[in-house]
Amino acid sequence: MRRFAALLYKDFLLLVRDKAGLALLYLMPLVLVALMAYLQNDTFKAILENKLPVAVQNLDKGEVGDAICKSLEKVQLFSIDQLADSVPIKDVERRVANGDYQMALIIPEGLSEQLQNCVAQSIQHTFNDSIPAPVIASSKVTLLTDPTTKNSFMATLSSSLNEQITTMQTDLMLQEISLQVAQLSPMPIGEIKLPGKVVEVEQRVAQLNTDRLIPNATQHNVPAWGLFAIFFIVVSLAGNIIKEREEGSFLRLLAMPCSFTLYLISKVAVYLVICLTQVLLMAAVGCWLFPLLGLPALSLGTCWSGLLMVSVSAALAAIGFGVAIGQLARTSQQASVFGAISVVIMAALGGVWIPQFVMPKFMQIVSMCSPMNWGLSAYYNLLLRGSGWEGIWWQCLLLLTFGAVCFFVGRGKERRL
Amino acid sequence: MSKDLAIEISHLFKTYRDADRPAVNDLSLSVEQGDFFGLLGANGAGKTTTLSILCGLIKSSSGEVRLFDKDVNTQLKEIKPMIGVVPQEYALYPELTALENLQFFGGVYGLEKKQIAEQIEGMTDILQVKDLLNKRIARMSGGEKRRFNLMAGLLHRPKLLFLDEPTVGIDVKSQQIIIDFLRELNREGMTIIYTSHLMAEAETLCNHVAVMVQGRKLCDGCPSALVAEAGVANLHELCLNLMK
Ligand SMILES: Nc1ncnc2c1ncn2[C@@H]1O[C@H](COP(=O)(O)OP(=O)(O)OP(=O)(O)O)[C@@H](O)[C@H]1O
Ligand SMILES: [Mg+2]
Repeated sequence: MRRFAALLYKDFLLLVRDKAGLALLYLMPLVLVALMAYLQNDTFKAILENKLPVAVQNLDKGEVGDAICKSLEKVQLFSIDQLADSVPIKDVERRVANGDYQMALIIPEGLSEQLQNCVAQSIQHTFNDSIPAPVIASSKVTLLTDPTTKNSFMATLSSSLNEQITTMQTDLMLQEISLQVAQLSPMPIGEIKLPGKVVEVEQRVAQLNTDRLIPNATQHNVPAWGLFAIFFIVVSLAGNIIKEREEGSFLRLLAMPCSFTLYLISKVAVYLVICLTQVLLMAAVGCWLFPLLGLPALSLGTCWSGLLMVSVSAALAAIGFGVAIGQLARTSQQASVFGAISVVIMAALGGVWIPQFVMPKFMQIVSMCSPMNWGLSAYYNLLLRGSGWEGIWWQCLLLLTFGAVCFFVGRGKERRL
Repeated sequence: MSKDLAIEISHLFKTYRDADRPAVNDLSLSVEQGDFFGLLGANGAGKTTTLSILCGLIKSSSGEVRLFDKDVNTQLKEIKPMIGVVPQEYALYPELTALENLQFFGGVYGLEKKQIAEQIEGMTDILQVKDLLNKRIARMSGGEKRRFNLMAGLLHRPKLLFLDEPTVGIDVKSQQIIIDFLRELNREGMTIIYTSHLMAEAETLCNHVAVMVQGRKLCDGCPSALVAEAGVANLHELCLNLMK
């Protein structure tokens, strides 16, 4: 234990004495995150606010048509255009095919009336056998879609439609039942009404239906550059290991009763603390500094243990990688060049600079090879999806495995000159 | 074998990767406990290589090395606490102060703070570096670094001390201070293995020397006996003759 304490203190001192290196570890990511978030804010806003044009022609003019229109307007993914009744269907179809609209919805004339009649008749039928069951002449709501429209958006629209129509049916049914009961019962009863709307269509539902999560500038840049910062310790850590070897102090350690593993574990511990303070710093910047710069503030979600887990996993992955480079590289020159370049490539692939969701399909797949992508997707899940451990365990496992493999590769390459 | 041997080497070979000739070539040697042993030879003779094998820093290609009757290859763990190593290059952290360096290495030996402080106190007096303790190694002169380099290997008072050219590149006064200190340690019973190409220094200091040329041992024994046997004036002349 005394040995380990001595090693820890030494590694801590070495870091603290290297003021320039320390500044690089903390300041560089800080500057980058602020700069990139600031630069990308408008772009992210544009992506987020880019609404799909949807045309609606409401020929119904009844309750049902109105309700459908209202509910569609609530879906923030769509910008709704109300078409005049006079526009012929051929025209609507042409405009969708041209791409003016992603989708067009035509609510037929008399939909409300038809629905009302149908419901009334079926209720009356249940109360009184002499009234025939209604012949369901299902009313057609026409949905025209652009062939390029994503399935997910169509799903959003149809689910919103179906929910709306079901609600209307239920409402009408309840109305009719109360009417019938009033006729049978000697006691006057009031109208049966469900308290408020039973089903609401929210944007949130719409987002979950789409398989791509779109962060804002803060939600992307803070975790992305946080991960970059974590991985950038590779340069410092590998340099530190090699310097120790070049300066000869490592040689002395080898001749002393100090195990190589303990020597490495001390470095792991010290750099783990560095990584976690980096993450804290970045989070603080996102929460408090960004609003002052006019950027969206970072909200950390609810799963704190998950955030800690992802950060620790990413840190251990980076540290393992650093140990491997420190042990495999021959000179500090080699280590810093290779370390820096590999981290930058990992960052580029992993979607730190350019988020994965705007990459071409092929690159989106390549991107999944980068440990930074694993970390980023875990952070996304926590910050954007509001998921808990179920949304991150897989990524954490990958990160930890990567770190462990690298660590043991480095450890195995015990250099005895 | 005798229990009094500190070191026993038999048929030691070491060929570095990509080297065309062995750096150590069939070296057999024994050093008794309490000896002040000098391993002498020109640059590139294989002194550092031999020393590194003795303290387990590098693996030999073949041959056997035993320290205090323990095999270096298999019982290194038990050997390490008994030996002290002072490498040829300064093996200290330049960014840490002398005191921090010493406290660290003492800590790795598992020593308590108090023990370390006592050792430092005693040695800094003798080596005359007390006022340098809080100076960073990077800002010290060569001679100052040498002295702390030496101290770092002595904190745990090893039974066997390896010194690789401890007096190279420093002024006469510092040299003398170090030599006196080593003599004192040896008198107290520490076995010292020391490499040098300074024949005169070795002749006065050592009771046992071996001369290496290109990895091979040319002779070993008591310096005065070797000189008398060869009929030369001193060790320096003997080496010149041997290298011809
Ligand atoms: N790490 C290494 N890899 C390859 N060859 C080496 C290595 N270290 C030393 N050698 C070679 O082995 C031979 C012996 O080197 P060594 O350092 O043992 O000599 P030395 O006697 O200590 O010399 P000096 O007095 O200059 O310190 C030399 O020819 C050297 O070039
Ligand atoms: Mg040497």
